[in-house]
Formats: sequence, C-alpha cells, structure tokens
Amino acid sequence: MNLRWYHFLLWAAFAATLMLMPELVSKGTLRTMIFACYLAIFAVSWDLLSGRTGYISFGHPFLIGIGAYTTAILSKRFDVPLELSIPIAVVVTMIGGLIVLLPALRIKGSYFALVTLAYMELIYQLTQVVRPDLTGGTRGISGIETLTRGAVNGYYLAATLLIILTIFSWALMRTRIGTALWAIGMNEESVRGSGLSTTKLKCFAFLASAFVAGLGGAFYVHYLGSIAPRALFDINFLFTILVAVLIGGAGTIIGPVMGAFFLVFLLEWLRPWLPGAERYFIYGLIALVIYMYEPKGIIRIFSNLLGKLRGANK
Amino acid sequence: MKYIKQSLFESVVTKSVTASFAVSTALFASAAMADIKVGFIGSLSSDTGLSTLRGAEIAIEELNAAGGVMDGQKITLVKADTGEDVTEGIKAYEYLAESEEVDFIISGSIDDVSLGWLPRMQEFRIPTLDTWTSYIGIIDMVVEDREAMAPYFMNIASDEALATLYINFGKDVLKDKMGFNSVVILAEDTAFGEAITGLVTEALAPVAGIEVADIITYDINTVDFAPIFSKAQDSGADFIYQVSSVNSQVMSSQYVKLQVPMAMTGVNVSALGLEYWEDTGGAGGGISTLSPVPSVGFELDPVSQAFVDTYQEKYDSRPVVPHFNGFNAYHGLKQAMAAAEAAGGFEAEAWSQEMLKQDLVLEKDGKLWLRYGFWGYDEVEEVTNRTYPHNARFDLTAPYDDAQPSMVVIQWMEDGKPGVVYPPEYATADFSLPSWVPAK
Repeated sequence: MNLRWYHFLLWAAFAATLMLMPELVSKGTLRTMIFACYLAIFAVSWDLLSGRTGYISFGHPFLIGIGAYTTAILSKRFDVPLELSIPIAVVVTMIGGLIVLLPALRIKGSYFALVTLAYMELIYQLTQVVRPDLTGGTRGISGIETLTRGAVNGYYLAATLLIILTIFSWALMRTRIGTALWAIGMNEESVRGSGLSTTKLKCFAFLASAFVAGLGGAFYVHYLGSIAPRALFDINFLFTILVAVLIGGAGTIIGPVMGAFFLVFLLEWLRPWLPGAERYFIYGLIALVIYMYEPKGIIRIFSNLLGKLRGANK
Repeated sequence: MKYIKQSLFESVVTKSVTASFAVSTALFASAAMADIKVGFIGSLSSDTGLSTLRGAEIAIEELNAAGGVMDGQKITLVKADTGEDVTEGIKAYEYLAESEEVDFIISGSIDDVSLGWLPRMQEFRIPTLDTWTSYIGIIDMVVEDREAMAPYFMNIASDEALATLYINFGKDVLKDKMGFNSVVILAEDTAFGEAITGLVTEALAPVAGIEVADIITYDINTVDFAPIFSKAQDSGADFIYQVSSVNSQVMSSQYVKLQVPMAMTGVNVSALGLEYWEDTGGAGGGISTLSPVPSVGFELDPVSQAFVDTYQEKYDSRPVVPHFNGFNAYHGLKQAMAAAEAAGGFEAEAWSQEMLKQDLVLEKDGKLWLRYGFWGYDEVEEVTNRTYPHNARFDLTAPYDDAQPSMVVIQWMEDGKPGVVYPPEYATADFSLPSWVPAK
C-alpha cells in the first residue's frame, strides 16, 4: 500500500479539523456542513466507480435511492430496528450495484452512461406505481425515524461517516486492485491482455461504489426524516454529484470532498443575498469558470499553489 | 500603466470596502430594530409561491404601520427559496430555523416539499402556517400526534374537502345537468396528480354515479397532447377530467386549438391566475377548474378587495392578482401574530392553543362570505364524518352559513372572462360546454 507517516498525519488533521467544527461554527453552518458531508460521500462513491474505471454512471442516484428507500421502508413500514435496516439496505444496494454492472459487461462509453440513466428513470417511475402503500408513491415517506436530533449530533454522525468512508476508499485505491481499476480506466484491453479478469475487477468496483452509496443513502434518509422520489431520482441530484466530483478533482478522494463542500457552501452563502433562483446562475458560472481554469479541479489548484510555495521557499 | 492599474485597484478596493461597510451597517441597523422575524419558505419563481410571499409582505407592512405587535415590536421577513425541490425545502427550513432563527414561518410550499421539511418543524417547533399545501395526510398527522404537530397549521381546505365538494359538482352539474355518465382522467405524474386522481376515482362512481372509463397518466414535460387526447376519445368516456398543476396551460391551450370534441374539466392550476388567458395566447376558453377560494372570477368582500387593491398598487409583475394562497398568507399571518400576542410569544404549544381560537369572518352584503378559522381537535365535520384539526375551516353544505365552501368551480369563457359556476350560492356564471363540443 506504500504508506508514509505523513499520510497518517494528513488524515488525522483532516479528521481533527472536521471534529473540531462544532466548537468553531454556528449551528446553521453545521447544518450546511451536514449536507456537504453527505454530498461528499455520494461524490466519493461515484468517483470510486466512474473516476477510476472510466465507466461514467448516470445512474448513481439509483444506488443511493435503493439504500435510502430500503431502510426507510423497513423501519417505517415494518418497524425493523435501524441497527438491522441499515445493514440490509447496504446489502440490497450492493445487489443493485450488480444490476448496474450488467450493461458494463457489454457496453461502455456514452452508451453505458445512457443505460445507467435509464435505471434512474425506471426506479423513479417504479417507486410511484409499485406498492405505493410501501414507498409512499409520489409524495414519498415522511416521519422516518432519525438517528440523531440537533445540528451538532447530526454533524458528528455525518462527519464520522465521511471520515470512515473516505479513509476506506483511499486505502482501497492504494491496493493493487485500486491500481488495476485505474488501469481499466486507461486501457481495459491491456488489462485483459495482462491476464487479469476485468469482469471481476469491474464487479469489485461496482460493489465498492454501491457499498459507499448505500451506506451514505441509508444514513442520509435517517438524517432527513423524509424521502420522496423527486428528491433522489432526479437529474439535478445527479448533476450535483457529478459537478462536485469534477469541480473538486476526479480520480482522487479528497477532490470530490472539496468539491462537495465548495458547492454546498457556495449556494448557502449566496442565499441571504440572492434568495431566489439567481444563486444557481452564479453557482453555475463559478463552477464553469473553475472547471475551465483547471479541468482537474480544486485539488489541482491547491497542489499547484503548494508547489509554488515550495518553489518560493527553496 | 502600472500606476493606473494600481490606482484603479485601490479605488475598487476602497469603494468595495465602503460599500460593504454601508451595507453591513444598514443590515445591522435593520436587524437591531427587528424584534420579530418571520420566515417565508416556498418557491420564489412561481405565481403561487409569490402569492404567499406578497400576501405576507403586505400583512407585515400593515402590522408594522399600525405600531407593530407584542408591545410595539416590528416584524421583518426573511425569504428562503425551495425551488419546489424537496431537499432544497429541508435546507431552506434549516436555514430559517438555525441561521436566521425566525419566530414564525409562513409556507408557500407544495405537498412533497412540505412533507420534506415537516420533520424539521417537529424538531425546531417553530410555529408554521402552510398556505398552499392541501395534503390531507398532514392533517392526519395532526390527528395522530397532537403534540408533535402542535406548531403546524394549514389554512387552505385539505384536498379531501376539496374533492368532496367537487364530487357534488359532478353529481349536480356533470351528471344531472349535462347527462355525463363516464369520465377519462388525464393526470400528471406528480404527487398532486396521484392524490387528486385517487380521491376522484374513489368517490365519483359511488357518489356522483359517474364511471371512470380510463386513467391516463402523462409526464409533466409533455408538449404534444394530441395522442393523449386521441386516447381519451378512444376510451368512449363522456368527458375528460384533467389533473394538472405543472404547465397546465400547455394542455388546455392544445385542447382548445385541437377542438377536442369532449368536455374537459378538473383541476388546472394555471387557470387559477389571471395570467391564464395571456399564457394560453387566448386559447383557453371553455376550460373549467376546481379552485380553492377566493379564485379568479370570485366576488370579493370589502376586506379582501382592499387587500387586492393594495397588492396591485405595490406590485406590477405577475401574478397581477394573488392566488388564493396570497389571501391565506395575508389573513393567516395577521392571525399568527394575534395568536402570539395572546400567547405571549411563539412557544409552540401556547401559540397553537391561541391560533385555534383565531376566527375572522368576512361578510359581503350582510352574508358570511369568507371565514378564516380552524377546525378544533374534537369537531367532527358532518359530511365526511371526520375531524380536521388545524385545517382551515370550510363548509361542505349549502347554504354555506358556517364557512365558505371548500372550493368553487370556475370556468374561463370563450371571450376570456372567468366566472364562478359552482356552487350556485357563489356563482357568477353558468357552466357551459365549449362551442365545438356537441351536447350529449
């Protein structure tokens, strides 16, 4: 895994910074950070799959939604305790990940992206018409049991989950499997030619991504306390995840996290001055400028700055 | 050149800092004067959302001009846009509660958005008045958990009450007067579409004696309704029941342009505003829709008329006349402040008890015309035989001497004028078929 002492130091600093936040910022800001944490988890899970293997999935809300709906239905409709409903939701999401994998065995590129988009649309329709007594139909489910109450507790939970999942994803990507997944993204035929089973590797990537998405989705719904198909199986939700990854820096772990925090905070900071839809225009404009300035994302801007500082000190 | 750039830079920085200081000072000054903070949650880009917002703004201006409330405290308004998005609605509620720390929230949210932020309302326990959501499931939550839902009030008749009276229209007018025996429902695939379709299908046949021949669900982004109208005609039904809250003008204008030879009524949200005629390019004649009161074409009592006059003086953009929820916001906000005055603040339980006592009766020509009050916990509505705690008071039985009807049916005539066609006590016009539709 090629671990260095400074890796531990940086991760410890990252975790400590997040954990110190409740002492430093207001409850309103913590609420914003909770959403940023969950968006970061979804962005990391998308990047685990698409940022590495190059299989651009537009169906990621499908996986998040499976996790969220499974635990919501189990806990609300069948009184299953959350200790059980959340793990079940993760397992069901991983099965969902295998369903998304199926087209990846035959197609790739834009065709794969469109097929996965169809998954999202399909489940959007299904949740409304199949057993609306369970899914709540188009209105969804309200009054879902929440894991915590209050901004501070909600934040600690979301931040802890983010820390665990990012370290997990980072460690995973530093293994030989992670390297092989990178290689698939660069040249799948070469990987196959070297004797590795790309099917198994892709299967692993889809499962790992679904695991993170399912866990994030399950905790997310038990933070929100409500769920509706329009909130999850929505193209805007998908774009928010994609923009967070792209603006932060695809193919990295911290990049999507930075992108998620940047996007969520940008929108919230604009709210008092531009309460209406105008803030989305500014948000889009800033995202576009950053992406055009540095297509490899905010993380690259930071690393360039760091490089310049080092150069200046020499 | 360097000097010029530097000067320009310095000038910009100086001006920015000065401007920021001025803005901050102004904001600080206004915050210091503000004693009561009201939050608006809803869409800032829809006519319905703006109706609630503007109704609240006028009520606040009037209350402040009259010396404020609760020992002369002034009220300020903070806006949080939901964009009609569920997650944005939750963020907006959190923003109002924890960043702005508002005392009271007035909502112009649609059904699933309200359902999204309801757990937050239960957590923060901020008194909240919904002026647009009519979902009966929320009133059921008040019935089931009185304590948790104490801060919540809905001052529009719930959809069950709307549908119940609409069924009477089905029986009295569509069945008995027009002779219609079957209907095909064209419903959009939204929460609203599903709810209204469910209520109508459950009651039309058993109560009004009208069979549902088919239900056609369409996507809200549909732009070509010709195949859908063809399918509706193929169903063999006598008339179309439209359930449309999003882009309703597209469907109705195509109905008129295609001269579909079937009558069409139902719920058409775009027809609830005076802009409807312009939005359809004049192709909106003959369309009728259920509407909460007051609607377009609805005669107003002097108090409500004065509100509309003030509204039109103050705003020159659409909606030129507030939708029903604008009236709800105007009267409801004043009632919420009066309740706070009586309760000595906004503590949820005490405020809720006082809010239940609010009762504004508006008369026209000596007759009860509109009533802004709420159903109590133990009051059973006679027609539906159930309770509606915290829901707007409505009357389902003529002559509507306890409160206004839960809804009226309005129709846009082919000359571009809207009128109320049902119930007769509030009617200003007769229900008629479009000129191209043959009588049965």
